[in-house]
Amino acid sequence: MVETQKVDSTEPETGNASTGDTKPALFSFLLERFPIEKMNFHYMVEKKEVPVHRMSWGYYTGGLTFFFFMIQVVTGLFLLFYYQPTVSDAFLSVEYINNHVSAGPLIRNMHAWSSSAMIFFATVHLIVAFAMKSFEKPREITWIVGVLLLFITFTFGFTGYLLPWNQIAVNATKVGLQSIDNLGQYLGPFSHIPVQLRETFQGEASVGQSTLGRFYAMHVVILPLALVALLGLHLFQVQLHGMSKGVDEKTKKTEKFFTAFFFKDLEVWAYAFLALFVLASCIPFESFLPFPLLEPYNALGATPPGIKPEWYFFFVYYPLEMFNFLFIIIASTIVVAILFLTPWIFKGTSRRNLRFIALAVSAYLIVMTIFGEQIYHWWKH
Amino acid sequence: MIDILLYIVLPYLAVLICIIGSIYRIRKEPMTYSALSSQFLEARGLMWGSLPWHIGISLILIGHILPFLFPGQWNALLSNHAMLLAVEGLGYGLSALCLLGLVVLGARRLISSRIQSVTTTMDLVILLLLLFQVVLGMLTAMRAQYGSMWCTGTTVPYLWSLVTLNPDLSYINDLPHAMKAHIVGAWILVLLIPFSRLIHMFSVPISYLTRPPQNVIWANPRHQKEKAEVFARDEARRHFIKASCGVFGGLVLLSVGALDKIGQFFFGPRLSFSEETELMESKLKRLELTAEQRKLEVERRENEFILVAALKDLDREEGKYFIDYQMQPAIAFKNEAGLPQLISAKCTHLGCTVGNKADKEGRILCPCHVSYFDIKTGTPNQGAPAEAPLPILGWVVLNSKGEVLASRSKTGEINGTIATQDAETAQVFIRRADVTG
Ligand code: HEM
Ligand code: FES
Repeated sequence: MVETQKVDSTEPETGNASTGDTKPALFSFLLERFPIEKMNFHYMVEKKEVPVHRMSWGYYTGGLTFFFFMIQVVTGLFLLFYYQPTVSDAFLSVEYINNHVSAGPLIRNMHAWSSSAMIFFATVHLIVAFAMKSFEKPREITWIVGVLLLFITFTFGFTGYLLPWNQIAVNATKVGLQSIDNLGQYLGPFSHIPVQLRETFQGEASVGQSTLGRFYAMHVVILPLALVALLGLHLFQVQLHGMSKGVDEKTKKTEKFFTAFFFKDLEVWAYAFLALFVLASCIPFESFLPFPLLEPYNALGATPPGIKPEWYFFFVYYPLEMFNFLFIIIASTIVVAILFLTPWIFKGTSRRNLRFIALAVSAYLIVMTIFGEQIYHWWKH
Repeated sequence: MIDILLYIVLPYLAVLICIIGSIYRIRKEPMTYSALSSQFLEARGLMWGSLPWHIGISLILIGHILPFLFPGQWNALLSNHAMLLAVEGLGYGLSALCLLGLVVLGARRLISSRIQSVTTTMDLVILLLLLFQVVLGMLTAMRAQYGSMWCTGTTVPYLWSLVTLNPDLSYINDLPHAMKAHIVGAWILVLLIPFSRLIHMFSVPISYLTRPPQNVIWANPRHQKEKAEVFARDEARRHFIKASCGVFGGLVLLSVGALDKIGQFFFGPRLSFSEETELMESKLKRLELTAEQRKLEVERRENEFILVAALKDLDREEGKYFIDYQMQPAIAFKNEAGLPQLISAKCTHLGCTVGNKADKEGRILCPCHVSYFDIKTGTPNQGAPAEAPLPILGWVVLNSKGEVLASRSKTGEINGTIATQDAETAQVFIRRADVTG
């Protein structure tokens, strides 16, 4: 291993940067990320240790995200028994679940609450992983796959939101998709691409049955498959490389992943399940939405006032309302690029500084999510 | 006579001997008041025997004590059918666990040479008795179903009659023989407690779960590492025991609260006749709406003219929604000249449907991000998120004979006028020619 590395670093000096020479570089890159000698039960499970320090709680966030995904899969499969993905029946079938099916409201509530929880913990997981510098070599692949997983999770939320086919959801989805069009004006010769992209998602010129069908297919088949595949890679990498140490100073204590940490993980999941179950039994998710969710979509009516996306999109939604579109586009492109390139950009940054950045970002997210609406009104006047 | 001996004399005798004997043994021979572990002689069999046995028997005993202590609450709990099935099912499962444990423990005492040397006859007797007890218990459960339910009318009052020194055998007279044998066996076991290793049940280390972890620090560095590992394993085990208790409790709660409902989930609701009718009606209505939408689409493909409204129905303040040739929403107003004013209602910002009520300045509002559009020109207000104006649509007005009275072309020029006598019958149309050009 060490030898291959040396060969790599001397290559550019010899000035021989033809394609033939990049092959071993790529090969050794992959070999370092997929060390074959470590691919065994002993190394990946028995020997794995989890450091104990003041940021240790961060090691639970990924597991919690996974737990809520499992809840989504189970409750989602339950919902499939009654849900009908057609423009005429979708809304009524959801209403049927709510009003007639035994434990239907509970299951639907759990799906809705746990989708929020999954998105919340996936976001926290990313921020904590950033603060702990868990993307450090050789964990680049873990990080990038993780970012992809976060995007998939958000797409889950976006596609699921449309499925009940109610007034608010259809209109909000229209607005969300339509904003893709606005990209066109900045793309010059490629200005037709955003419209094409939108219509590909929609399946027709405006949001209708084809859109519902496609969103349904994405929500229950394509996204779950993609997520499971990427999650497999993500977890494989995590077990392969072990836990990153998480703090700059030397940690004195570690605990065994199996069984000590694993059982603690299960314990946390049990509490999460309890909380979710109680929440879902007692508080219908809709009670947080200040608009009539249960009103079927009506193509002829005016868009109801005050439509907005679910809370987890506020952090882009309100800025989009307040600032120039081009500015938002450039800013989000930069943020996404930074997210993907994090392992290389922040290679040399100390964890203290990473924590600082993570805190600043969290502060932004929290403020925008909770006070976004007030800020928006204040901005407008 | 024999009944009195077995069910009244034996119990009192057994309890008396058990109490006096146990106190005597704990006082006089405190070192033997334990389970006399043979773990260091043979560990694997112990693990597969002792663990299932102890888990099983502790929970089974709890299941025997609860109805005795709280017969009313117990009955109320079991009146829930799902709960009853859960309790009975658990009982079977745990008994099987006990059985497995006993068999392994017995085999170990009979076969392993090392263990045989520390095994007393009493150990074997106890094992055999316990085996009988478990089998008899299971037999009773199978023969006379729902023992967890009928016990509160039979064995529980019998036990209470003993406790209150007012023995009454009538409660258990009619019980099956297996059950009666089970009762006698129980008294014999109680009697044997002070004479056997059963006495260790008075030294159950409950505090193990709650006491703080104890780490033995060794001065010798070689031992230190080894002990740290043992310590970690011990910690993990305690977590495991606590977690199992939690999971078990959770499952019981879940089965009481949700399991039968979830079973019903898959079975599906059986609606009443009127509910079903109502549901069908609303389904039909949604289908009709969908069909309507489709009809509009076909109409717009086939017809040169599409009816918007009768001219007299149009209003200056409140517009009338209709669907244009592109299947997008549009609004029809009347202007001050009494002519139609048709404007697209698809907001040029992000495509929301614009409202149909004009304000004092003759503007309509898109509620999504607040853009005001002038009805006459379609232009948005200054600083609105929407930048492009809403398109103004062309129209034709026909009289009842189908003759063109007036029209507005795409470019905005208006031809013709409408006489007052025609205004009552005239109808407003949009035409394909205005769209395709
Ligand atoms: C295999 C996995 C999944 C399946 C089979 C599934 C299935 C479904 C179905 C059938 C519905 C429509 C019923 C309804 O609206 O109540 C739905 C709604 C929804 N799903 Fe999923 N889902 C899955 C995973 C997820 C995930 C991972 C998320 C988010 C992180 C999510 C978020 C939502 C949301 C927000 C709704 C709308 C809830 C509502 O308004 O009732 N789903 N899902
Ligand atoms: S969609 Fe009309 S103002 Fe944004």
